[in-house]
Amino acid sequence: MSGGVRTIGVDVGPTNTDGALLAGDVPVATVKVPSAGDPVESVRTAVAALMREAPRGPRAAHVAIGLRTAAHAVTRRAGLTRVGVLRIGGPVSDAVPPLAQWPADLRTAVHAGSAMVDGGAGLTRADAVALDRDAVARFAGALAGRCDAFAVTGVFSPIDDTQEHEAAEIIRREVGTDAFVGLSAGSGGLGLIERENGTVLDAALSRHTRALADALTAALGALGLSSATVLVARGDGTLTSLEYLRLHPGLALGSGPAGTLRGAGLLTGLADAVVADVGARRIRVGVLAGGFPQESRPGVVIGGVPVSFPMPDLIRVPADDPDAFEEAVDRMQPGAARLPLVVVGGGSAASAAGSAPAADIVLPEHGLVAGAFGAALSPVGGAYEQLVRTGEAGEAHAVDEVREGARRSAVRAGADPRRVVVLPVERVPVPYLPGPAFSLRARAVGPPSPL
Amino acid sequence: MREIGIEQLADIARGAGILGTGGGGDPYVGLLLAREAVRRHGPVTVVDIDEVPADATVVPISSMGAPTVLLEKLPSGREEINALRALEAVLGRPATHLVPIEIGGVNSMIPLAAAAQTGLPIVDGDAMGRAFPEAQMVLPGLIGVSNSPMALADDKGNTIVVRAVDNTEAERIARAVCVERGCQISCADTVLRGDQLRDGLVPATLTLAENLGRVVREAHAAHRDPVAEARELLGGVHLSAGKVVDVERRTEGGFARGRARLEGEGAVLELDFQNEHLLARRDGRVVATTPDLICVLDTETGEPVTTEGLRYGLRVTVLAAPCDPRWLSPAGLALTGPRYFGYDLDHHPLSG
Repeated sequence: MSGGVRTIGVDVGPTNTDGALLAGDVPVATVKVPSAGDPVESVRTAVAALMREAPRGPRAAHVAIGLRTAAHAVTRRAGLTRVGVLRIGGPVSDAVPPLAQWPADLRTAVHAGSAMVDGGAGLTRADAVALDRDAVARFAGALAGRCDAFAVTGVFSPIDDTQEHEAAEIIRREVGTDAFVGLSAGSGGLGLIERENGTVLDAALSRHTRALADALTAALGALGLSSATVLVARGDGTLTSLEYLRLHPGLALGSGPAGTLRGAGLLTGLADAVVADVGARRIRVGVLAGGFPQESRPGVVIGGVPVSFPMPDLIRVPADDPDAFEEAVDRMQPGAARLPLVVVGGGSAASAAGSAPAADIVLPEHGLVAGAFGAALSPVGGAYEQLVRTGEAGEAHAVDEVREGARRSAVRAGADPRRVVVLPVERVPVPYLPGPAFSLRARAVGPPSPL
Repeated sequence: MREIGIEQLADIARGAGILGTGGGGDPYVGLLLAREAVRRHGPVTVVDIDEVPADATVVPISSMGAPTVLLEKLPSGREEINALRALEAVLGRPATHLVPIEIGGVNSMIPLAAAAQTGLPIVDGDAMGRAFPEAQMVLPGLIGVSNSPMALADDKGNTIVVRAVDNTEAERIARAVCVERGCQISCADTVLRGDQLRDGLVPATLTLAENLGRVVREAHAAHRDPVAEARELLGGVHLSAGKVVDVERRTEGGFARGRARLEGEGAVLELDFQNEHLLARRDGRVVATTPDLICVLDTETGEPVTTEGLRYGLRVTVLAAPCDPRWLSPAGLALTGPRYFGYDLDHHPLSG
C-alpha cells in the first residue's frame, strides 16, 4: 500500500463521472461510470466503485467533487430560488437598476423585488456614505414571507464590507434567521453590476446548493465516509468546503473545466501548459499558468448574465474539426516560447493529439480521469483584491493587507490555517488614476482543514 | 435631424471603443447608462452642426476620473445634470444643446444619457475626434474658447465651478477635485456658441462611431473582414496584424506606461501606451504617433482592444487613422503630440 493521506476526487461530467482514489499523490484506483441524472447519485456510484476497487486501506480523509449542476440550474432556469435584491449605493448608483440587463425569463424566475438604499464605501474612508438602516428594514419587511433568499451588494464592498454585514443583520432580524443572505464581497472584485449579478445568482442557487450539500453529506455518510471532509471544486481551480459553498454557491460555476485543467497539470508535473480536454462532441482548450487555470478576463456570461466569478478562459471547438482545434491551441499559446500541449479527457484523445499542432504533446496516464485527479489534489483557495493609490511605502503596506486578505479568504473557504501559503501578488496599473494606482490581487491556497 | 434609440446605442459604443484608441474607458458602463436613460425617457434627438442656430448654447458633458471607479460606483445620472445646472447658473442662460467632449470611449455615451434625461438635442460631433486624457486637449482651445467656467459635480450632490486663468490650470484644478471626490466626477465645460461649432468640433463623429460599430458587427456576422471594413471607413492605414507576444507595464514619473509587442506578417510591431496607444514602431522604425489614432482591433471580431485588455496570445490588427488635421498645427501638436507625452520625437505623418 502506498503511504500518504488518502483522498478521493470525483468529476461529475455530462456523460461520465470519473473517480480517483489516491494515497498522497499516488493513484490507488480510478473509475469511470456513466453519469446519472442526479449528480449526487453519480458521486455515490463513483465513490462506491472506487471502494470496491480498493476495499482495504484507510478511509479517505477528504472527498473533493467537481460539479456542473450550478451552471445547469442557471442556464436551464431550473431549481432557482426567488431573490430579494438590495443594492447599497445611494444616493448614486441607481441609473442602472439591479437585473436591468438580464434575460426576461431568468429575471422572472429569480427576481422577488429590489431596492437601492443610501450607503456604500469608497476608495477612501472619507468617500463612504452612511447606511440607511431604516430603508434596509423597510425593504426586508416588505418581502418577509414572500422570499427567503437575499442578495446584498454594497458599492466598494471588496474594499470594505462592513455595511453588507450590517444590512444582512437587519434583513435577518426582519425575515428570520433561516433566510439566505448572500453578500457580494465574496463574489468577485470591483465592477458593481457583475458582482451584483453573481451575488443574485448565489442567492438564487442557495436552496439548490443546500439540498445538494445535504444530499452529498448523507450519501457519503452512507458509504462510511462520514468522517471525511467534503469539498467542492471551484472555477479558479481550488476547492471550497461545503459550508463555504452554502454561502457562495456561485463559486462552483466552472468547477468541472477548472478541475480538468488542474488535473492535466498534476498528472504531467507541468505548471504551465496548454490543455485540451477532449469530450465526445467538443474539445475545450485552456491554459495552465503557474499550476492554475488562466482565468477569463474581463469575465464570463452565464445564462445571459455577465458575472465576475473566476472561471477558466476556454475556447470550445467541435471534436471533429481539426482545423478549429489547431487554431484554438495556437490562440491559447501565451507566447512565442511554445508550451507543451497536454491532451486529456474521455473522448478520442489520442486521435485529437494526432491532429494537434504543438511540437510537444503529452498524453498522460490517467488522462481519462484528469478531472478527478484535479479535484482530489487541489488545495482549498481564497483570493483578495484591493485598489491602491499610494507611494512605495504605502504600497508595501497594501501588499501586506492584500496577502492577509487572501489568507483569511482561504481559511474561510476551509483551508488549514497553519498551512496556508499566499501566491505572488498580481499588480495591474489602473489607467486614468493619478498616483499611480494599482489593482493588487492575491490568492492563497492550503490543504483542507481536518475535521 | 434624426433620433438615436436603444438599437443604435450598442453600435455607437463599439465604434467609440475603436475611436478610443485603447483608452477613454470601456464604453460598456456608459452603454448601460445610456440604454437605461433612453428606456426611461425616450430617444435622443441628434442634430448636425449645420442645423444648430448661431446663438445656440452648446455644452459638452463628460465624466472625469477612473473608469475602474465608474464601473463600481455607477452614477445616478443626476451628477451630469447637477454639473449642467451649475454651469447654466453662472452662464445666466440655459443650454440649448449637449455634445460629447470626446467621441472615444465612455464619454461618447455619458452625454447621450444626459440628453435623454434633459430632453435636449445632442450635436453630432465632438471636441477631439478620438479620446485624449486631459481636459485642455480639445479643439475649442485652439480657437480661443476657454474651458472655464467649468462646472464639476460629485456623486453626493456637491458642485463647484472653476474659473481658471487658462485651460491647463483648469485641468489641474479639476483633477485635484476629482481625486478628492473619490476619483470620479461629472463635468460641464468648454461652452460653445452655435457659430463656433464648425471650428471647435470634429463634425459627424456620433454618426462615424455608429457606422463603425455597425460595419464591424455586420462584417463579423457575415464572415467578412471586420477590420478591413473598419479601416476603410476610417481612411486608415494597416500597420500590422499578428499575435501579442509580450506586454510590459511599468510606472514612470507617476504614469503607468506600457509597451506591447506584436509579431506577425514577418515584422515586429511595438506599441507604446499610457492611457491610450501613443506610438507604434515597426521593426524599430516609428510608423505612427499621437495625435493620429492608433487602434487595436481583435482580428477575428473587429472588437476594440483596450490597453488594459492587451495580453499575451491575443490576435490583433493595428490600424492607424488620421486625426483631425487641426491637431497637426503647431498649437495642436503642442497639446497632443508625442513630445507632450514625454517622447523625444516629432509627429510621424501617416503614409499608406
